[in-house]
Amino acid sequence: METLPIIYLMYMFVSIYFLSLFLSLFFKNRKDFFDYPKTNKKYSISVLVPAWNEEKTIEGTIRAIFSSGYDLEEVIVLNDGSKDNTKKIVDKLLKEYPKLTILNKENSGKADSLNQGLEMAKGELVAVVDADSYPDKGSFEKMIGFFDDKKVGAVTCVFIPRNDKRFFERLQAIEYNIIAFTRKLLGYVDAIYVTPGPLALYRKFALKKIKGFDKNNLTEDIEATWHLAFEGYKRKMCLATHATTTVPIKFKAWYKQRRRWNIGGLQCISKYKKYFFKKGMLGFFILPFFALQLFLGLLGLSIFVYLVSTRFISNFFYTKYSIELGTSILTMNDLLITPSFLNYLGVILFISGAVFSILVLFIMKSQILVKQNIFNLLFYLLIYLSVYPFIMITALYQFIRGTGTWR
Amino acid sequence: MEKNQKYIFLQALVITFIVFNIGIFMGNKLESSRIDKINQWYLESDLELLDQKIQSDAFGLIDFDCDLLVRENIRFADDIYEQAQIIEEYEKASRINNEIVIQHKRYDLLRTLFWINSIKIKEKCNPDYHNLVYFYKYNEPSLEQKSKQNVISNLLFQLKQEKQDKIMLIPIAADNNLFAINLLIEEYNITELPTVLIDEKIKIVSINELEEIDKYLN
Repeated sequence: METLPIIYLMYMFVSIYFLSLFLSLFFKNRKDFFDYPKTNKKYSISVLVPAWNEEKTIEGTIRAIFSSGYDLEEVIVLNDGSKDNTKKIVDKLLKEYPKLTILNKENSGKADSLNQGLEMAKGELVAVVDADSYPDKGSFEKMIGFFDDKKVGAVTCVFIPRNDKRFFERLQAIEYNIIAFTRKLLGYVDAIYVTPGPLALYRKFALKKIKGFDKNNLTEDIEATWHLAFEGYKRKMCLATHATTTVPIKFKAWYKQRRRWNIGGLQCISKYKKYFFKKGMLGFFILPFFALQLFLGLLGLSIFVYLVSTRFISNFFYTKYSIELGTSILTMNDLLITPSFLNYLGVILFISGAVFSILVLFIMKSQILVKQNIFNLLFYLLIYLSVYPFIMITALYQFIRGTGTWR
Repeated sequence: MEKNQKYIFLQALVITFIVFNIGIFMGNKLESSRIDKINQWYLESDLELLDQKIQSDAFGLIDFDCDLLVRENIRFADDIYEQAQIIEEYEKASRINNEIVIQHKRYDLLRTLFWINSIKIKEKCNPDYHNLVYFYKYNEPSLEQKSKQNVISNLLFQLKQEKQDKIMLIPIAADNNLFAINLLIEEYNITELPTVLIDEKIKIVSINELEEIDKYLN
């Protein structure tokens, strides 16, 4: 067999494996999928809101936090040297919310701001809420029950785009739904690899044990989650609640955000590489999973470039000789394609992926009402996801050069 | 991880193996069915060629109708040319089973035998058709060579459509290391690929010459 079919078969094997894994996990746990543990314990929660030039959203975020229905210990806005009206808006709200405080500091990055906030926090649990995110009513109430298990270090929930009017926002809504769904499934096997910034609840003791957030990592939330896994803490996903978050509406901003996520992932792989196939699920699943994603993405991109360039060169010569000879550039024979079994397998796999995505959206619909149609889904599967390898390659380039920045 | 969840990785692996192997099995079945089809054609063509060969060899011993012999030869040439095109398509789509490469070689030999028979018929019956043998590179042609061959194949196909019974189009892979073909290549001094050989006399190698192929066929 030639090399390319072997590579295609390898992709298919990996795809079938993850599809089987996710479906097996879902069918095994479907009955309590949206459940959350109830608790009688009253946890004290300090909410940290890192903010850098967030004048457009900070007020909404603070109001959403205080409207969540939980008697919070405190809400600390970590004003990371904002140059806009963030401080002024928060100062105005201080009168309205006595439990609100603000720490005005020089710009030092999100991780450092969170670490300073962690030092100030009085609560047993520490919530991180990005300044452009809005926890839903009852969010904290539904998430705290997981902490009755002393081994739980972090809990996160579903995120959905704040708006879903624009096409690009709807694509991200599909993505966020699928991520939430798979994150929940990974939670059953202790393989959650990130508790993202829009809303994550941490056990303060656990955060202190890992010495807070890594200032050198572009995705301090991914790193903290890996570090918690390294220390043996469980990470849980609560599907019963959600936070809305502002998502990029322009491709460039989206691309930069995803590139930053990828660089952060690479930094994590680099930091924890010596734990491959060691240290429980971190070494046996999370690290190999990230490395496999990277490998398959880069290999896929290389094959794509190879196929496109060879096709381009072939077409160039074909056209050149056709013109020289005066023959048709396109004949009926060129349009007749005999499909190989790999084509059939590819189509079956694509349909399976689409059915899985529809299933996810259908299941999540009871919780999150985001209008979607089949065109959005097809665009997501065929175009949106295919941009990722390109993001990965630029992320890898910046990671190697060490030029990745937060903003 | 919950104890009852840890076997799920293994369970998913088992499911994957099953699904994957079903896929490979079905793929193999698909490719085998195509090879079976080619085998069937080959047997029929082989039989027909043998019949024709006996007819042409027996020429002189028995009183033969030359027109009938030529007509049958042309029909047979068209059949194996069409089959060659289909085999090529199947070959492009073949991913697991390499048997199709052997089939290709068998067909090359069959077409070579047919060509030799055609030469004999021409000598005996002096028919009004041209033998047009197209030697091409089969094993790992460069991108340029492959494109060139595709263009020439198209040109010859169009020519065949145009001239119908006036030409006998015989494509032969010249680099499969088959002794009989190698002998003929040496005999007709085929040194470059692709080459179009007209009536065992005129060799066309360059694209520019091919533009004037018509003048050799009139």
